[in-house]
Amino acid sequence: MLYEIKESILLSFEALRSNKLRAFLASLGVVIGISIVIMMGWLLGGLDKAMQDTFSIIGTDMLYIDKWDWTGGDNWRNVRNRKNISLKQAEQLRKLHGTAEYVIPNINQWGTTIEYDGETYQGMTAVGTTAENAFTPVGNLLLGRYFNEFEEEYGSNVIVIGHLVYSTIFKGQDPIGKTIKLNGRPLRVIGVVKKRGTMFVDFIDRQMFLPLKKYAGIWNVDRKSMSIGIKAGLENNLDEVRTETIGLMRIIRNLKPNEPNDFSINETKAFEKSIETLRLNVYMIGIVMTSLAFIVGIIGIMNIMFVTVTERTKEIGIRKSLGAKKRSIWLQFLVESSFLCLLGAILSLIMCSGIAYLAATYLPTYFPEVSFLLPVLPTELFIIATLVSVFVGILAGLIPAIRAARLNPVEALRFD
Amino acid sequence: MSKPIIDIRNISKVYQMGSQLVHALRDITVSINQNEYVALMGPSGSGKSTLMNILGCLDTPSSGTYFFNNTNVRELNDNELAEIRNREIGFVFQTFNLLPRASALKNIELPLVYSGVKKYDRIEKAEAALKSVGLEDRMEHKPNELSGGQRQRVAIARALVTSPSIILADEPTGNLDSKTGEDIMRLFQNLWESGNTIILVTHEEEIALHAKRIIRLRDGLIESDELNHNQVNFN
Repeated sequence: MLYEIKESILLSFEALRSNKLRAFLASLGVVIGISIVIMMGWLLGGLDKAMQDTFSIIGTDMLYIDKWDWTGGDNWRNVRNRKNISLKQAEQLRKLHGTAEYVIPNINQWGTTIEYDGETYQGMTAVGTTAENAFTPVGNLLLGRYFNEFEEEYGSNVIVIGHLVYSTIFKGQDPIGKTIKLNGRPLRVIGVVKKRGTMFVDFIDRQMFLPLKKYAGIWNVDRKSMSIGIKAGLENNLDEVRTETIGLMRIIRNLKPNEPNDFSINETKAFEKSIETLRLNVYMIGIVMTSLAFIVGIIGIMNIMFVTVTERTKEIGIRKSLGAKKRSIWLQFLVESSFLCLLGAILSLIMCSGIAYLAATYLPTYFPEVSFLLPVLPTELFIIATLVSVFVGILAGLIPAIRAARLNPVEALRFD
Repeated sequence: MSKPIIDIRNISKVYQMGSQLVHALRDITVSINQNEYVALMGPSGSGKSTLMNILGCLDTPSSGTYFFNNTNVRELNDNELAEIRNREIGFVFQTFNLLPRASALKNIELPLVYSGVKKYDRIEKAEAALKSVGLEDRMEHKPNELSGGQRQRVAIARALVTSPSIILADEPTGNLDSKTGEDIMRLFQNLWESGNTIILVTHEEEIALHAKRIIRLRDGLIESDELNHNQVNFN
């Protein structure tokens, strides 16, 4: 059996070599089909990685109470009409919360002005927060340290800057201990956050963190809505923490039992949903395209196999006269059609590897949104492509192979 | 008398050709013993090809019984017929019927592949068979690199390699010049003398004269079945 398969592969190879163009055209459909499967897997692989990165930025054990819904789930008109979440409400929640590990008020100021070394920089975001923010994913520092509780208490002139702020202003110089002017106020840089941006959250590296009290000295905190970060500590505690948070916030914001929540709870789950939708779209388009390509591919291979069977009728007769059983005959043709498809798969893999490498290397320069693309195809795609191609080959070769095996030896021998 | 290898009783073969029924064989009874050298003779349309196909288990009769080595062939399924062809019958065809893309050695190995012989034994047996027909220096040649006579020798080696019970030769000299044909007939005589059973299908009187027994067919019937007292002998 094993020898027969080996022999069949050699035979197929010979047959393909003598009919290169025909074999190529026949497997074109399969090449396209498998290429789509590979490209789809590649895109999804990239999306998954981007999603994982995003999750690690947000923190899988984090909830963010906000006036705004991050994924645009609620009606924007209702959301806009919500009352701001005040600093007082945030402080109340922090005091009352029993299950959360940390409750961390945050307030953002977009479009600040920074002066350093005679230059002015626009467009960075200042975030007023507490020392406990160090225990969220933002606390993962490249250089220096976070501000501590005393500095928070006294509203010290200290600041922790995001990676993009660091690279824009300091251009690789050591920033620790340097003083920058934020909207005219001098602040000492004490830390730099690691680079974290991905396609979904690229603003994140533009952030700078300073004590809430200091922030309040620069901007008016009453006219803005707070964002409250809540760290559950463990992912398993999320449900409990979420329930308590909603209950407390409804009390704090004086909601009647029949009124809907006038705040949003943002968490990685929400992103999961929007990425899931994206994945589903890629899948749907991919499956439709793949099916079409494979139908065309299977018909192409089947056709060529019928031609091959007819061409080799005499050979089938000879083999049968020498004692080949039906199994040997159909095996030979199944191996040949699978081999044809396998070559198609190899062709697709080479092609797609090239495309993936080029796309992941050069595209992000022009379109930063696609920086999630992987330069190397995931290993499992090679296995999937191989299995799928062999399966398609068997499917396409089945009817021609059975027809070949059923040929009457006397008639087959008479064929010229 | 030893038990016959081939024991055919009252077999008929009827073909459907369009709306017409063609009686290729009508009620034929023949038996052939071990180490016989039989020629099946007849003009075209006499039914000799049909009879050969049935003898070679490539085809089954419409009625009657066929015992091959005491096995009732009519009761066998396709796979069992394939096994009999593989182990018991060596075919030699007029057009040689070698696989064009395979070397002489590979062609000879093929029946052994189908009977599951291990690679080492296979090569050894194939080489021995090629040697017995005097082509040991042509092992790696493809059929199109061999002369007609050499191709037929390869085909004979292929027929011999499984040590079959009978060798069925269908017009083995039909595509060869008379000199080469004579060589092939000499080879058959040697095989017969070394104990093989040979059935030769031919329409040429001089070829048939090499056999020990001549069965003449006409219109699907046996016209005569007698010993050949004028056997041509090369020795």
